[in-house]
Amino acid sequence: MANLFLALVFGSFFGFALNKAGLTRYSKIVNVFRFTDMAVLQFMMTALVVAMIGLYGLRGLGLIEFPNVPGTYIVGNLIGGLIFGVGMALTGY
Amino acid sequence: MKFILNYIRKETWSPYVAGILLGLVGIAAVWASNSLLGASGAFENLAGLIGKALAPASFDNLYFNFIMPPGITYGVMMLVGVFFGGMIGAATSGTLKWGKKNAANSDEQWKRIFGPQTWKRWLLAFVGAIVLEYAAGIAGGCTSGLAISGGMLLAPSAFLFIAGMFASGILTALLIYRRRY
Repeated sequence: MANLFLALVFGSFFGFALNKAGLTRYSKIVNVFRFTDMAVLQFMMTALVVAMIGLYGLRGLGLIEFPNVPGTYIVGNLIGGLIFGVGMALTGY
Repeated sequence: MKFILNYIRKETWSPYVAGILLGLVGIAAVWASNSLLGASGAFENLAGLIGKALAPASFDNLYFNFIMPPGITYGVMMLVGVFFGGMIGAATSGTLKWGKKNAANSDEQWKRIFGPQTWKRWLLAFVGAIVLEYAAGIAGGCTSGLAISGGMLLAPSAFLFIAGMFASGILTALLIYRRRY
């Protein structure tokens, strides 16, 4: 139960960050594919780098254990990604 | 303090600042609840819940029994949070357009490319969302669940997914925009 409440809190911070980065707008998403506005990449990569440092640091200190890492199946990930890009450029998700 | 309050009211933050916030949230999610951020899985949980109630026979398969079990899961609650978090974000910058004119189709660039009709926006959003969710099902996650959360843990699948996503995204944008690219 407490976990579900935490999910709600983390989700709202997630939504807040997305909104403030402007990623709730169609133009921001599609413009990254046109190379005219790199906000999506800047946002994503900053989040990745911060979280990587934090997570690996905390694991090194023995404070956390990693949850299930998303499985790698090359064909599925690649084809899924290829179809996903079409939808992303169409809707601005 | 005043500076922070003013910054919160700004409509668009520097993507770096918002990215740092998301990174911290990602760390907190793993630390406090041993889970990853994600969005697309929640739709499958909900679809399973509805499907099991309406047509139990056709939803009684491997996918909905084991890979994406239906129910109000962590992901579903997170999706609800994302919805309200986005709303709070818009409200703090004064761009919340709930019920106002053109609220459903307010993107200038969209109108320039596809025309001003709202139904077109909704139709394309619907079709595109089906494509997105189908692809997320194949790949095992979406931008948030696989690319960002997986990338945080340096999962190879995340980077394969990002490569595929950008390759076809650029191609689709080229096809849509053509000379205006």
